Amino acid sequence: MRKIWLVVKREYLTRVRTKGFILSTVGLPLFSVGIFAFSLALATRKADHSLKISILDNLGGLAPQILQSLNEKLPDGQPRFQLVRAWDRPASEKAAYEELTEQVRDGQLDGFLEVPKGIMHGKAATLHARSASDYQTAHTIGRAVNNAIIERRLSERGIHLDNLREVMAGVELSLVKVTKTGESEETDQSLLVQVSIVMILYITLLVYGVMTMRSVVEEKTTRVVEILASSIKPSHLLSGKILGVAGVGLTQYLIWMCTAAVVSAYGAAAGSAFWPGAVAPKLHLPISYLVYPAIFFLVGYFLYASLYATLGSIVSSEEELQQVQLPVTLAIVACMILCPVIERAPNSPLAVTLTMIPFFSPILMVFRITVQTPPFWEIALSLGICVATTLGVIQVSAKIYRVGILMYGKRPSLVELLRWLRYT
Amino acid sequence: MEAIAIEHVTKRFDAVVAVSDLSVRIEQGAVFGLLGPNGAGKTTSLRMIVHILVPDEGAIRVLGQSPSDRTMNLVGYLPEERGLYARMKVREVLVFLLALKGLSEAEASARAHEWLERLGLAAWSEKKINDLSKGMQQKVQFIAAVAHRPPLLILDEPFTGLDPVNATMIKDIMLDLREKGATIILSTHRMEQVEMMCDAICLVNHGRSVLAGDLRAIKKSYGKNTVRIEYTGDDNFLHLPDLVEKLNHFGAMVEAKLRPGADPQEILKAAVARGVRLTRFELVEPPLHDIFIEKVSEAHA
Repeated sequence: MRKIWLVVKREYLTRVRTKGFILSTVGLPLFSVGIFAFSLALATRKADHSLKISILDNLGGLAPQILQSLNEKLPDGQPRFQLVRAWDRPASEKAAYEELTEQVRDGQLDGFLEVPKGIMHGKAATLHARSASDYQTAHTIGRAVNNAIIERRLSERGIHLDNLREVMAGVELSLVKVTKTGESEETDQSLLVQVSIVMILYITLLVYGVMTMRSVVEEKTTRVVEILASSIKPSHLLSGKILGVAGVGLTQYLIWMCTAAVVSAYGAAAGSAFWPGAVAPKLHLPISYLVYPAIFFLVGYFLYASLYATLGSIVSSEEELQQVQLPVTLAIVACMILCPVIERAPNSPLAVTLTMIPFFSPILMVFRITVQTPPFWEIALSLGICVATTLGVIQVSAKIYRVGILMYGKRPSLVELLRWLRYT
Repeated sequence: MEAIAIEHVTKRFDAVVAVSDLSVRIEQGAVFGLLGPNGAGKTTSLRMIVHILVPDEGAIRVLGQSPSDRTMNLVGYLPEERGLYARMKVREVLVFLLALKGLSEAEASARAHEWLERLGLAAWSEKKINDLSKGMQQKVQFIAAVAHRPPLLILDEPFTGLDPVNATMIKDIMLDLREKGATIILSTHRMEQVEMMCDAICLVNHGRSVLAGDLRAIKKSYGKNTVRIEYTGDDNFLHLPDLVEKLNHFGAMVEAKLRPGADPQEILKAAVARGVRLTRFELVEPPLHDIFIEKVSEAHA
């Protein structure tokens, strides 16, 4: 046991002290904080200058009502929308349209709103703007037109309101997921959370699996492995190596989770300090979103790290790795490709089957839990199958590893690998 | 008690029999030469002693015990295929490898320091292995094999890549360790090293022992049947097929293996008759080199 610990310590320390580890560990949180801040800034961004608009009102009389709803102010007190001209029922619709289009093109106008005659009967109003990607502006103007039309319809039926905006104040729809345990969980941005969890699992399984493999190959190519084999049992060496790399992974996870906790606790406060009135996107993580991925990551890591270590032990050089690692890497990549299948129908027989396959369950079962939590027995069964497979794979890996680390030259065939299992 | 007792050991890899019914005994405190051509089964035998491999048949006793995880710490092993973690510091590598042999890390650190000093590498202890020359790396590997003071030391080609100064340094340390009671198994293709250092040998070929025993006794059994001659002049005088079975030219020196019953005086006569000036004329036992070749080619015949 002491020797396993020595191997764990060496693996851990030599990896944690590399520049690559420090960069990726510190870099990723910084990057995500940056993204968070950026999206916060984007989400709450107000136009920093007034937009010059004209209204081409072919129906007539709508412009004042539309303008009523466009009374937003910029931070510096200027109105957000500046009406250049309200063109009421022009002599020639075509000529007016062309003149205004020309003004937009020249830059005299940021845009103009064209209200067709038939707007009361379902014809669409059009915003001709220099920038067609400013959805927020389009949305505001759309609402303003909508309000004006409703007010007009009401008044045509003899209803007059001074406080139309109050009456029209919208209600937000909040989507709530009902789970088996009876609690309801907010699923605001649930897709974002699901995708992030799956991506983190995918990347870490791949990165740490490959790290284990490289570590095995390094000992083979530097030929230090025979000295090691004379001091420690190969199965202990392998365990130490896998545990050591797992320690590196967990350290990284821990740092990231702390960063995430700090960001979600103070990020909103910090954000509103920089952008007054900003509303931080709500990030609500139910505890099952943390516990299940952690469990499945550990089991999945042991499964894939054993497979990768086995591959590392049967090759003699870094170059050969590229070829042999493909099947294992493809299995992990397949999980990502199969995610949409689960997303569409999380309880279909196909989805249930896929989440029971041990090489997929570390990613797919976690994904399925975040989409729609399956009955507990299904999670337990999937985990059980995965743990059993992992234990089996570790047994086989240790046997192949034991022989492989001392073999150089030609790569063994599958038949030879099977024979290795019988060596003493 | 013998340091090593190998009894009728056989080891197969699929159809290949690497070691076949091998029996070897090594006395404690001896320097023992394990010889044999490439692929004879030397490395497999050594790996079984170190407990990297387990025999299919037969038994091995290392210092009176069956090889196990516990005997691993009693053995220092310098394999032929060796290397170190390229990106680790010299001291860290040594502490790791010595701790794996059962020393506490503090003890390992002290021994590493002491030995680096002894081999003139103290200034390099905080350098990465990569920054060391090949010869220096060899010395670090040697330290990793001996610094935990194992009672049994297995050295496979310990001198390759070392200059004469360093080779002598390593040789002196080996003999010093032997003085202090260590048993040393030396595996090498360099016969002159074996002649200089070994008390006993075992020559393996195709996994079998073809010659084993005390080195002096083995050489004595061949008798003084070889003449070493150094001379200036025409070498035609050595064309004596009735007397000489085989000639070995070494540039300045010639070794002539005599036919059974041949009188070395006849060679001397022939030289004088041809007017060759002799600077050396010595009757010796056959060099191990010749015995090796004879034994190995016998098996091929």
